Order: sequence, then structure tokens, then C-alpha cells
Amino acid sequence: MKLRRVYVRGVGAITPLGATWPLSVAALAEGKSAIKPVTHFDVCNFPCTVAAAIPERFTQFSDRRLALAHAAAHEAWDAAGVSSNPEKTGIFLGAESGRASLRTVFALAQAAGGGSTFNHQQFGINARPLASWIDASLASPAAVTSALAREFDVAGPAETISLACASGAAAIAEGARAIRLGLCDVAICGGVGADVDPLMLAGFGQVGALSARGISCPFDVYRDGFVVGEGAAIAILASEQGSATVEVAGEGRTLDGHHLTAPDPEGKGAIRSMQAALQAANIQAVDYIQAHGTSTPLNDAVEAMAIRNVFGKHLDRMHISSIKGALGHWIAGAGAIGFLCAIEAVTKGLVLPTANLLHPDPACGLPLVTGKAIQKEVETALINSFAFGGANCSLVVKRCA
Amino acid sequence: MNQSRRPVFVSGAAAVSAFGFEWRGIGAALKEGRVSFSHSSQLADSHPSILASEVPAIPVSIDAANAKAQKLMSRAAHLATIAVQQALADAHWEDNREEIGFYAGVGASGGSMVELTEMLRASIVEHQFSLARFGSAGLAACNPLFAFQLMNNFTLCHGAILAGVSGPNSAFYSRGNGTVAALFEASHAIAEGDCERALAGGADSAVHAVTWAELKREGYARNGFVPGEGAALLALSASADNALAIVEHCAFGNSLTSDRNDLDKLLMNIDITEIHSVIIAPWGTPARQTLRALTETHFPQASVLNINEFLGDALAATPALAWVTALDLLQTEEINKCLILNAGIDGGIGAVLLGKTSRHANIMEHGQ
Repeated sequence: MKLRRVYVRGVGAITPLGATWPLSVAALAEGKSAIKPVTHFDVCNFPCTVAAAIPERFTQFSDRRLALAHAAAHEAWDAAGVSSNPEKTGIFLGAESGRASLRTVFALAQAAGGGSTFNHQQFGINARPLASWIDASLASPAAVTSALAREFDVAGPAETISLACASGAAAIAEGARAIRLGLCDVAICGGVGADVDPLMLAGFGQVGALSARGISCPFDVYRDGFVVGEGAAIAILASEQGSATVEVAGEGRTLDGHHLTAPDPEGKGAIRSMQAALQAANIQAVDYIQAHGTSTPLNDAVEAMAIRNVFGKHLDRMHISSIKGALGHWIAGAGAIGFLCAIEAVTKGLVLPTANLLHPDPACGLPLVTGKAIQKEVETALINSFAFGGANCSLVVKRCA
Repeated sequence: MNQSRRPVFVSGAAAVSAFGFEWRGIGAALKEGRVSFSHSSQLADSHPSILASEVPAIPVSIDAANAKAQKLMSRAAHLATIAVQQALADAHWEDNREEIGFYAGVGASGGSMVELTEMLRASIVEHQFSLARFGSAGLAACNPLFAFQLMNNFTLCHGAILAGVSGPNSAFYSRGNGTVAALFEASHAIAEGDCERALAGGADSAVHAVTWAELKREGYARNGFVPGEGAALLALSASADNALAIVEHCAFGNSLTSDRNDLDKLLMNIDITEIHSVIIAPWGTPARQTLRALTETHFPQASVLNINEFLGDALAATPALAWVTALDLLQTEEINKCLILNAGIDGGIGAVLLGKTSRHANIMEHGQ
């Protein structure tokens, strides 16, 4: 069976630095960072008080994830200029659960008595009348996929990948596989993260994953944690090349099988993930890596070690950066925005910098892009996306021959 | 990527359900009409007298998760860890687990009500929920890793970590079809040579105070929906050695926008006249009615079992529980094939055909 090639026909993104991908790229190329103090809710006493948030509230949408994904998907679809039989069009999105609003949290607390004890029986009775305005389906990870499938008349495969920080990249991997196998001709792929909310900041803050300094500076010697960001990034993949100049050449997916919150200290899962993607693409090295680079002490050290292990002497001609210095960590959307950065490098030779990287950690030992973007010929690029829980996904893209 | 396509065999399985921790015997139990429902112990505080299908107390001897690890797990994740261990043991896969893939349909993980209670209780000031109080005392009152109970992929990751499974993987959010997508992807990973072995299945629980409140609100309780829980996995392999069955067909369609993906399309490449045993795994009453109608028109002579009538609705776990039931029937009944149909509230429909290993056709279609 001859597998088909997978072309990247169009991309779209809404980020804290721009309502479209071109606007975002312009700011990213300048080395700007979107990370600011959180002002739309009270972060008093929170372990981390900054984020990379999109200021618009999107009141016309009941679900913030959908608002973001909707914007990115339409931009990508318009850019792609594809047409496809609905039954041969698929959608593959990385998304985690939506978040209950504070109003919901408060209402639930009140339903349980609202006092100093949580009355289970009272909760069972009082939770029911909340039905009129608490819509659980909005919190479903599948809600975004379902809504976009209706909007774009998708009647082919529809999948929601909930793989934490690797969701977006894994969704692109799933879409690419579906096109290779002929299951669909066009795939709407990507991820969305809308986690600048109290529960997420609290949750990640409690485990010590967030930056106490309030700075996302991947691979910096002073890095001390990640900063939550939000946005959506979508790519339209297709079996027909059209005007595309870049293709998805390989994917690798592994599990660390090591620890819930810490990567395998030897980076074995990350190494196997990158190697699998390179092997699938039938190449040994790439020109550029968009690293997972979260700005946590552990991730960046292990990822750097894994990259050195995989690429060795090839690193001399490579460049590496992480977008999380500028846009924070989008969780389920992280791999997808990383994918767009790699596409930008291959199609336009624009290698985006790692914002806030002022003191590269010599222990990481990587050829990092700092300051502003650089121009270089990029034939091939690799994207890393590593998740809490130990799921790893690497993608390889290359210029069409 | 290896471009040759290989048959995919079932080398072992696991089921964690109200019937216990063994997949063998589930088919016979259903055939006998054994029902697992009893008054829920997990919902007793918030919803007294609710009938549910609950997994019995987990014996320490089969529980790979110690007390500390369990505090980081949702109920679904805990059940999944047991299923992973059981499936690996059943397939005798002791070695080279690094290469074993793992694909799972997962639900929205429900955190411990005890933790949630403590967090909310500490966040209330003068009968009002206080965000500032939440940021300090509320957070301090609960397990620091509580957030990880809520991450959907941890249903997959806990089991992988405890068993050392670390091959290709994905976690699919499932209202039924995500679990079929897991089997589909695992089968293709093997068929295309991405891995030699993989686990595929699902784990979930509807027996959770918040989940049940939502299901009740949405009207499921009025329509005979019995909350269930469980985990089930198939151990898939490229090797026919000691195989229990073969995955003859795995397909799922997305009917979100129309009814274009009907059952005929999903079954397009198989001879349905050979199918005399069907198990249905619906998500809620409308899906049950749909699947009942489809089986009556397509398989009027077939024996049809509705797994929900015996094991309740275990959400993302239900299709996988149906697969292992089919696997058991293939071992014990005079049938060559068993078709498992699922349908979910999204309008998705899935079809999996398991056959005895003497049959080598291996057809996998997706969507159509």
C-alpha cells in the first residue's frame, strides 16, 4: 500500500500577540513577550500571578476554547483554499476539559450548603436546579471538535485528543496519519488552550510548576517554571499539494513510563520520540527545532540532553528556540503553535527567537536563537511536545521536493 | 514507516467491572442474564438509593498502585492501572514493555469529592465563595496534586508508568467513539509496523457525584440509564502465537453533521450474513434505540446482547467492555465472529468485528 504525502495547505492562529498568525509572527519576530500580570480575576495569594492572556472576552461565545479555535480555524481554512467532500474531510483537535466559570464554582459551593461544611445530600438536591445555566457539555473536551465539525461540515473522522501538553501535536500526528491512509483528503488539525483561569493557575501553581518570578525564559539559567498562556493554532493538511511548499514528513510518539510530573531523567522517552519522527521522515537531522522548552528547570535540562543525544554533531548547523518565552504554555494547544513556528521557518526562513532568554544555560548546550528572529534556509524542522504524565510527540516537517 | 499491512491479533485482555477483575466469564454472565446493579455506595451520600454498576473492592494483591499513588488518581485512572497489569499478564508480555503501544478512550476525569469538599469548604467566607480565600486556604486544604486527578490523559499515563509501557500512544476523549478510535489507531500502528504490540481500550466512571448530577440533569436518569464504571483492554499483537482472536474490522463514523455515516457504510467491506452474534454498547437511551433498530434490520437472525443492561453505562469504558465480552464469547460459544456496535450522544457510531483466529481477513475502515 502506497502511503500518501501530507501537505500543509494553510495555517491560522490567535495568540496573545495577535488576532491572526501573520500579526503574531510580526510581534514574535521582534522578540516580544505577551506575559503580563493577570488582571481579569483576583490572583491575590496565587503562586503565580502572571500569564500570557488574550485580552478579548469573546462574549458572543459560551466557551472560550471554541472562540479561540473558531478564529484560528477560519483563518487557516481561508488560507488553505481547499475544497473537499465532507465525508473526506476530518477534524483532529487537541483539547482538554473546559473550565467551570467562577459563577459555577460559587453556585456549586452554595449548593453544598455554602457554609463551613460540604453537605453531600444537599448538593445532590440543590445541584439540579442549576441546570438552566450550568452546561456541562461546554466543559467537555469534545465540545470544540463537535462545534467546528458542524461549522465546517465535516463528515469524516472527528477525534479529540486529550493528551495534556502533547494534545495539539498528537492531533496533528493523527490528522497526518488519516491523510496518509486515505481516510480523509483534508484534515483540520491543531489545538487550543484556554487555561488562564483561577483553577488552572491554582492547580499548576500548587505543584510548583509555575514561575514564581513570573518570567517564562526557556533554557535560561534562571528559569524557574512555566507561565500559563492561551490561544489556538490550526493547520489544514491535505493530500493534494496545491500551492503548499511544506509537508508533514514524520511523527513519533512515545511514553516515558516514568513519572507523573517529571520527565525521565535520561530523556529516553523524548529521545525515542524524536528518533521515531526522524526515522519516519527518513532523515538524520533537521535545520531547526521548535523545542517544547517550557522554562521549567527539569524539562529544559532533560530536553536539551535528549536533543544533544539525538543530533550530536549535527547541532553545529542547527538552530533551536521555544515559543513559550513569548506566548507562555498553552497546554493542549502548545504543540500546535509550535508546529506553526516550524512551518514559518520552512516556508519563509524565519526562525523565531526564544523571548526572555537572556542567560542561556551552559548546561543545556544548545544553539539557541535569542533576541530577534533570524533568517536562514530551513529545509527541515522538528517540533517537540512533551506532556505531564510522560506522553511525548515529535513531528518533522520539510520543504516539498 | 513500514508500508506493509499486517493482521492484528488479540493476544490477551483485561476487564475491570462490577463482575470483578477477570474478563473470562463475562460473556457467560451476560448470557445467563446476570445483572450487576446494586445501590451505589459511591453515590450514597449525594444521591441515596441510586442503582449503579460498581467495581467491587479492589484486592490488594492485584492493585499495583500504593496508597500514595492512588491519591493522585481519579477512579477511572485507578481502574485503568489494574486493567493494564491484568492485560499484560494475560498476554504474557513481561519483557520489552518499552515498545508496547497504549491507546485509550478516556472520559473527563472526576476528582475525589473528598478533596473537592476540602478545597471548597476552606474557600468560603461568610457564605460566599472567596477567590482570595481559595488562592490561599482553599489550595492549601487539598492534595497539592489534586489537579492531576482531573487531567484526562492520566487515565492512560498512570497505568503506563506503573507497568513501564512506553511505546506509541494516544488518549482520545470518548463519548463512545473515542474508544473505538483508540482501537483503530492501535490496530493501524501494528498493521503498519509502528509497533509489534499495543494495548487498546477504555476506562471511565459515571459513578461520581458531579457526573451523576449532570447526567440526571440532562434527563438520563428518567430513561433507564444506570451509572457504571470499569476499564477494559485488548492486548493486540502482530504475532498470531497463542492468539485469542483477530481484529477483522474496526470502523467509526462521525454523524455530527448528518446521517451520512450509517451502519451500511461502516460495514461496507464485510459479509454481514456471517454475523450471528452482536453486542451493542450504547451511550444513553436514544443511542440504545438506534442500535436496537439497526440490529433488527441488519441482523434479524443474530443473538443480540446489550451490555448496558448488565454492566450499566461506563461511558468511555463501555465499548471496550463489550469487546472483551465478545472475546469471551468467541472462546466459549460456537461462533466465528462477534460484532460490537456502539453509539454515542454525539451521533457517532462505531463497529468492531472480532473473529476467531482461523480467519485472517483484516479489514479496517475509518469513517467512509
